[in-house]
Amino acid sequence: MNNSLLVVVLAQGVVYGTPLLYAALGELLAERSGVLNLGVEGMMLVGAVMGFWAVQRFHVSSPLALIGALAVAALAGATMAAIHAFLVITLRANQIVSGLALTIFAGVAGLSSYLGNDLNLAKSPARHQFQAIFPKSLQDVGVVGPILFGQSALVYASWACVVLVALYLTRTRAGLNVRAVGESPAAADAMGINVARYRYAHTLLGGAFAGIGGATFSLSITPQWLAGLTQGAGWIAIALVIFAFWRPTLCLVGAYFFGAFTYLPFALQKYHWAPPPELSQSLPYVMTVVALVLVSSRAARLRFGAPAALGLPYVREEN
Amino acid sequence: MIRIERRLEQPRRLVVVVPVVSIVVAFLIATIVLLATSHPPLHTFRRLFDAAFLANGALTETVVSATPLAFTGLAAAVAFRMNLFNIGGEGQLYAGAITGAAMGLLLAGAPSPVVIGLMMVAGAAGGALLAAIPGVLRAFFSTNEIITSLMLNYVLALVIDYLIFDSHSYLRETKGFEASVFPQGKKLPPEATWSSWTIHGLALPLGFLVAIGLAAAVWGLYARTRFGFEVQVIGDSVRAGRYAGMRTRRKILAVMCLSGAIAGLGGASQDGDFRHQLDPRGLTQANYGYTGIVVAALARYNPFAVVLVAFMLGGLQNAGYTLQGADFPAGLVGVLQGLILFSVLGGELLIRYRIRFDRRPAKAEAAAPEPAS
Amino acid sequence: MKRGKLALVLPLLAFAGVAVLALGPATGAARSHKQAAAFKAAWIYVGPHNDHGWSQAHDQGRLYVQSALGSKVETTFKENVPEGPQTCQVIESLVRDGNKIIFSTSFGFQDCMVSEAKKHSDVFFEQATGTAQSTNLAEYFGRAEDAIYLSGMAAGAATKKGVIGYVVPFAIPEVIRHANAFALGARAMHPGAKVRLIWTNSWLDLGKEKKAAQSLVSAGSDVLGQNVDSPATGQYAESKGIPWVGYDSDAHTFAPKQWLTAAVYHWGPYYLRRVKAAVSGTWKTGFYYGSLNDNFVGLAPYGPKVTAKTKKAIAAKKAALLSHKFYEFAGPLYDQKGKLRVKKGQHLTVTQLYTMDWLVRGVIGSAKG
Repeated sequence: MNNSLLVVVLAQGVVYGTPLLYAALGELLAERSGVLNLGVEGMMLVGAVMGFWAVQRFHVSSPLALIGALAVAALAGATMAAIHAFLVITLRANQIVSGLALTIFAGVAGLSSYLGNDLNLAKSPARHQFQAIFPKSLQDVGVVGPILFGQSALVYASWACVVLVALYLTRTRAGLNVRAVGESPAAADAMGINVARYRYAHTLLGGAFAGIGGATFSLSITPQWLAGLTQGAGWIAIALVIFAFWRPTLCLVGAYFFGAFTYLPFALQKYHWAPPPELSQSLPYVMTVVALVLVSSRAARLRFGAPAALGLPYVREEN
Repeated sequence: MIRIERRLEQPRRLVVVVPVVSIVVAFLIATIVLLATSHPPLHTFRRLFDAAFLANGALTETVVSATPLAFTGLAAAVAFRMNLFNIGGEGQLYAGAITGAAMGLLLAGAPSPVVIGLMMVAGAAGGALLAAIPGVLRAFFSTNEIITSLMLNYVLALVIDYLIFDSHSYLRETKGFEASVFPQGKKLPPEATWSSWTIHGLALPLGFLVAIGLAAAVWGLYARTRFGFEVQVIGDSVRAGRYAGMRTRRKILAVMCLSGAIAGLGGASQDGDFRHQLDPRGLTQANYGYTGIVVAALARYNPFAVVLVAFMLGGLQNAGYTLQGADFPAGLVGVLQGLILFSVLGGELLIRYRIRFDRRPAKAEAAAPEPAS
Repeated sequence: MKRGKLALVLPLLAFAGVAVLALGPATGAARSHKQAAAFKAAWIYVGPHNDHGWSQAHDQGRLYVQSALGSKVETTFKENVPEGPQTCQVIESLVRDGNKIIFSTSFGFQDCMVSEAKKHSDVFFEQATGTAQSTNLAEYFGRAEDAIYLSGMAAGAATKKGVIGYVVPFAIPEVIRHANAFALGARAMHPGAKVRLIWTNSWLDLGKEKKAAQSLVSAGSDVLGQNVDSPATGQYAESKGIPWVGYDSDAHTFAPKQWLTAAVYHWGPYYLRRVKAAVSGTWKTGFYYGSLNDNFVGLAPYGPKVTAKTKKAIAAKKAALLSHKFYEFAGPLYDQKGKLRVKKGQHLTVTQLYTMDWLVRGVIGSAKG
């Protein structure tokens, strides 16, 4: 039963959705504060390469090395995000362009590739990797076994992150302030909220999440380093945030949905039923467009829409 | 306390000084990076400029990169000026390449000018049609065009793959030894090859000249016509446009289609000027659409500037391939390119805003959204 | 656009200004005097030079040339080169840098190789896996199928259930003949064994390769093989305790316990011959199809799981291949449906191998991808 198409695809949807989930949570935080960062792919790759570097260099026990590697990946991602933050928050540069420039700077033919080369990381596999943490007997439980218990610590940690981000945005003072900053920076400013500080914090936090998302590839899914190993996951993460209407819990659903669709063509080939792989690969993108159209009505937009000030720099005007 | 406020007037002096300073700063940072990674900076810069502009035949190669960037840059500029963030230039370029190639194949045997002319029409139509999707959604359903146009980029990349790798479509070559070795697009007939002119060793493809003509046309459209005026008004404030009795929805759709058509023309130019077949891997690996957005922004949406910036970035891209090698890792090339973009982008601030240093705490006032351009 | 016009000209001027500064008194012409003595050779890769697969095998060939000829040659490479008009730009810049022989290692580069070869008659061009030749453009590849047959034997000996998974990139003749050779080898050791294919539609994509491997294992494969470039399949095999046969390069470090062997290319000796010929002026165009006999292809060192008996059987088959007593694509050969495709006594020629579009009996999967 655990080998049936549905269970396999769902279990793999969780596996391949996890890096998307981390990156999307990060982008969500940045966007909620009004900063659109299209450099997710670049930040993920730098996170992936630095996380991998750390796990090769930290000569400590496996869990410690992995935790250390995640910290390094988060730091690396946040550092990349800091460039974007400085450009768009302090210097008020165009957010779309700055994000694209960040992708060029850090991405597959940029910093991440340089670091991987210079630190000579491609020559061997990861010394430690995230593996399933529950005993085999639990993983083999019907249906829920592979999906819920067959996962690595990174997956369970991502669930905690979803809950934390959701609570943060709805239940804490700071979280409500972020939303105010993203919706109406002028009003937030008038309330005494430091707009720039909030935007910096959440853009950096977004970068840290993206870095961890990248490290999910190099420490768990394909535990090695190769330039460009994220293969466009950063761009899917950006789509995912919109697909999820800027809601952390919907991010989780969407990430697994997208993840499942990346695995589906491979699962189907097994059954000698091979619709063009392009069909299932394009579904997530088409679904995102459809979902977006569905909530575009005025009323729905107020409830589910993008932060009103997304992409706009904030300048305090004085008379 | 440092305060930043918007300039009411932008002094000409600054428009001169700032870009110069940002580029000098870019090269200073690049020098530090190169020294830190033990590569000789002067030698590297020399190679960069040599490969991009100065060496024999370098300009011709730079124009190869600059041509598609000019199209996608213009496409982005046209839309962004109306605050329509069409980042679907990538997909619209693919769409134009598909329809352009199909037209070229269909018309095999017809007189060359007819074939070339209709390829341009088909390419523009293909791009416009694709851009109409986010256009309609934005105009009639208020759906955010950034995301819908971005999503369609992926869909179109998959469509191209499907046409060449996973089906026996009209565009795929199915006969011959070479085609059986690796899937590829049908070769276009010779009459579908766009002309090019060589002046002092610099080969200028028809596409590049078309892009220059388009730049002039776009400038004329925005600076000299009622349509252009209305678009700018609506771009600043949709509501203001509506109060003034302008048909905002139609304008949104028209501008999106125009933007898509220009990108689509760029796709047809890829077929006619350079590849002479529908080439999925060549198109999808180049990122012309995304780089076009950078071009448009650096040109501050001015159509003539777009052509010049496309030329500069085309040179930078072309030089990137020259720089990398056994002793110069590919990753460093992207780092240098990124640094130049960051610096130029950062410098923009000084033109648009004034920085003041003073000690008394400022009182908050209402903020206005960013005006177009 | 009030302030527009100046704004366009100035960045350009600034750019030019920096150019002048950077160039200083010297100009481009004076550049290459120092290294005039060294003969320049260049390679173009479709992936990164350290991919543990195809591109890395070529780069080892490049390093082989460099170390054999020392300061007499100066070699370089361009990696991650897109297969479009950019290829021509890359070749153009290599010619401008004074490279006299250029090796292109992906079929997608061929169009530009052809047009650039026409433009630069004083430079030698070499296209791997291609189909076009001219006076200064040669073709080269090799009978990897022979070595893949032998690596398939290792897989056949390792399978218990008789189901072997094979991760494949594009449904093109090159890959189809490789998959066929692999299956024939496996079935020689384990009669009736099935070889399952899953296509990734990509030469190098860690994620897709892993997904394909997962799908193959969930379909019951207890040995994995591959015709794709990265060691992702091997890493998955190692984590599942399933024996693995690699491809292109020796990647045993990625699956130390489960590594069986791999069909590998030794591009180095060929590259050395061609570069030497180019230096001495004896270079001639042609089509080189390397073989086991000239050690162009071979097997990587065995892993711990390969038994002495298997090694002996492979060695015997290899000897038969070397002495031409055996050829894997000799009739009778049946396709997947059991139809006789190659009659007894017939041999498939290289041209037939280059256009092969059917899978042999025992392969499960579609030849259309």
